[in-house]
Amino acid sequence: MNSAYHDTVITGLAAISTAGVGIDPLRAALERGTSLLAPVPEGVLAGGPHFWGKADAFRAADFMTPLKARKFDRCSLFAVVAAGMALKDAGIVQGSCDPARIGIVLGCGFGGINNAEEFLRGFFSSGAEGMVPMLFPNIVPNASASNASIEHKLKGPNLTTIQRFCSAESALLLALRFLEEDRADIILTGGVDEVTPTILKGFSALGQLRSFGSGFSEGAGILVLERGDHARRRKARILAGVGGVRTIGRLAPGASQEGINRLLPEPCEADLVALSGTAHLARELLDRLPAAPRLDTGEILGRSLAMGGLSMASLVLRLAPGDRGLYLAASPEGPWYAIDWYGGDPVQS
Amino acid sequence: MKAMKRNRIAITGLGIFSAAGRDLPSFRKSLLAGRSAIGPIDLFDVASFPSGIGAQVRGYDPLDYFTARRAAKMSRVDQFGVIAAGEALRDSRVSEHYSPYDIGISLGAGASGMLQAEEWLRVSLTGKRGDPSLLRGLLPDRTATSIAESYNLCGYQVSITTACSSSASSIGWGADLVATGRVKAALCGGSDCLSLLTFAGFNSLKVVDPSPCSPFSLGRQGISLGEGAAFLVLEDEAEAKKRAAPIYGYLLGYAVAGEAYHMTAPDTGGADAARVMSDALRYAGVSPLEVGWVNAHGTGTPLNDAVESRAVKLVFGERAPLVPLVSTKGLTGHCLGAAGCIEAMATVVSLNEGTIPQTLNFRGADPECDLDYCHAGALPSAATLALSNSFAFGGNITTLVIESGREPS
Repeated sequence: MNSAYHDTVITGLAAISTAGVGIDPLRAALERGTSLLAPVPEGVLAGGPHFWGKADAFRAADFMTPLKARKFDRCSLFAVVAAGMALKDAGIVQGSCDPARIGIVLGCGFGGINNAEEFLRGFFSSGAEGMVPMLFPNIVPNASASNASIEHKLKGPNLTTIQRFCSAESALLLALRFLEEDRADIILTGGVDEVTPTILKGFSALGQLRSFGSGFSEGAGILVLERGDHARRRKARILAGVGGVRTIGRLAPGASQEGINRLLPEPCEADLVALSGTAHLARELLDRLPAAPRLDTGEILGRSLAMGGLSMASLVLRLAPGDRGLYLAASPEGPWYAIDWYGGDPVQS
Repeated sequence: MKAMKRNRIAITGLGIFSAAGRDLPSFRKSLLAGRSAIGPIDLFDVASFPSGIGAQVRGYDPLDYFTARRAAKMSRVDQFGVIAAGEALRDSRVSEHYSPYDIGISLGAGASGMLQAEEWLRVSLTGKRGDPSLLRGLLPDRTATSIAESYNLCGYQVSITTACSSSASSIGWGADLVATGRVKAALCGGSDCLSLLTFAGFNSLKVVDPSPCSPFSLGRQGISLGEGAAFLVLEDEAEAKKRAAPIYGYLLGYAVAGEAYHMTAPDTGGADAARVMSDALRYAGVSPLEVGWVNAHGTGTPLNDAVESRAVKLVFGERAPLVPLVSTKGLTGHCLGAAGCIEAMATVVSLNEGTIPQTLNFRGADPECDLDYCHAGALPSAATLALSNSFAFGGNITTLVIESGREPS
């Protein structure tokens, strides 16, 4: 089912990806349009070539003391730093808004898995004596969003979602609703993910390394989502507006057309189409898309469960004021998302 | 913040699979009898931990519920989820009334398939090849997929992962999905199971009580872990009445927030927990005076219980001693990702039975916990409205406002 436009806008962006740290490296990578995936070292995973998208340019020490960085797992580091960058980009200074009116809702795929692995390795190798208690709190997938909330004093709605390759889009839908219902004025949303050698070994064991696990990547894409009236009142720069969100969980056997019709009702128009997750493989949906330029961020940065944060940020960067964007995200077994976007301030254009 | 006018969201189906009952009738019986499900754990080796107990679904045989082929494709958590969701869906009969695209899933997840995945890791660390099927259920979204496949649900799907508040949040969000018309029926709840990771992890933090947990008691030492799954079906009240669906109660409102204080410790003043409870009441459009009792997060850790007691005093003021704050974790154990929904279910059942459940395993009065916790036994109650609190690692807090389905007498 569609949702009406509720004047929700984007006032800030942040990106950490294989392209680098910040929005400018992402913008440059989108302009080049070539894949930034790198070969997985043979020592990490044999039988290649395999490719992954590590955010190698990211160094926690550029943003915090080593002592502080030790508190966080890698996903939390991404989220803490990207949340700070997004708030700054939106012109939101700590203390300028009521903390209870700023929330964070992030999609997160493999967050915490590395801590879980390290904790269990200690136990398996040395028993109870080998357990490192400080690893445990950050095994939870919400560690990224919650650590970011703690660091930036965000006391509004705080949730973490996962639904395969649409984890970040799932987060966006919750964030939109929280703003629409006036549970917050501003919500940081998007996705954060990490890729580790063991994750690739897991994909390999499951035989998915050349399908859904191919070109797996990491990083964070965060969008500052804000009610339009609030943004205009504080004279924020408005980058884009979010329109209707249509989603289905899966295509019903024997009734897939009904699902496609709900997701992409005709006429389907846009100036720019963005694909995320495994939408590039969803032939039955691709045929329904308008003949407009396409942007598949995954081809450039790689794919991850919460890649939607980077994909949505990329779409916002590429939409000119007044343009209409159509964003399609998919996962192998569902869900599917179709989201309408408007370049610039949709109220003024 | 303002409360929006919204349709009433009815609870039209209930399903549960837990150590305290493997379906709704048996859970109800355990709840009303105050029969704790906490006992020795034999799911994995617990010899190296100070505590070897928990609320395990003992003697569970997947073949009692699934074919061998189907069972092999699902983790223990997925199986629990499919069983409990099936009971709720059959109870509500929503599948007979709505298109598969109009029925959504909002699931709260926790450790998911970690129990199986950790075995894969253990074997892999020895240099051998672990069975890859052990990894199938590792990601928390897998349970929602298994449920959707099992019952042909094709509407919206999400898995919320906020540790111990996951499934409470999933219920609040499920109500929003119905209220906005995004789905006509939302299957909301959670599923989680014991795993070595969580058992060892909480033990490493020294927050597991060697005896069955004793929330709000003097000398309490922490949690008892548990496992299980529970689901509610939510629908718009008018639609539910139109199709003569059973109505067990109403989800009147909810609130979620982050404390932004510490990953594992609550702010000792309880102000944020109080804020979330008050916000939930405001969204529900009800006054604190209407609340009969509170189903606490009530883990049994020294700090949590004292802080939650303080928060309840902030919300209810002078009336706080008259609003029992009870924990059902002595019955079910702390079921982590499934805790919020299991406790919501206990709240619905108790409201409909006209009772406030007992907080089990009393060891003595704690001066820091000086409210009414129903330690002596369940209390008869005419209350029609209760809160259910869930707190989590990360400072995530969720409160649900639940109304009885009983007709006022």
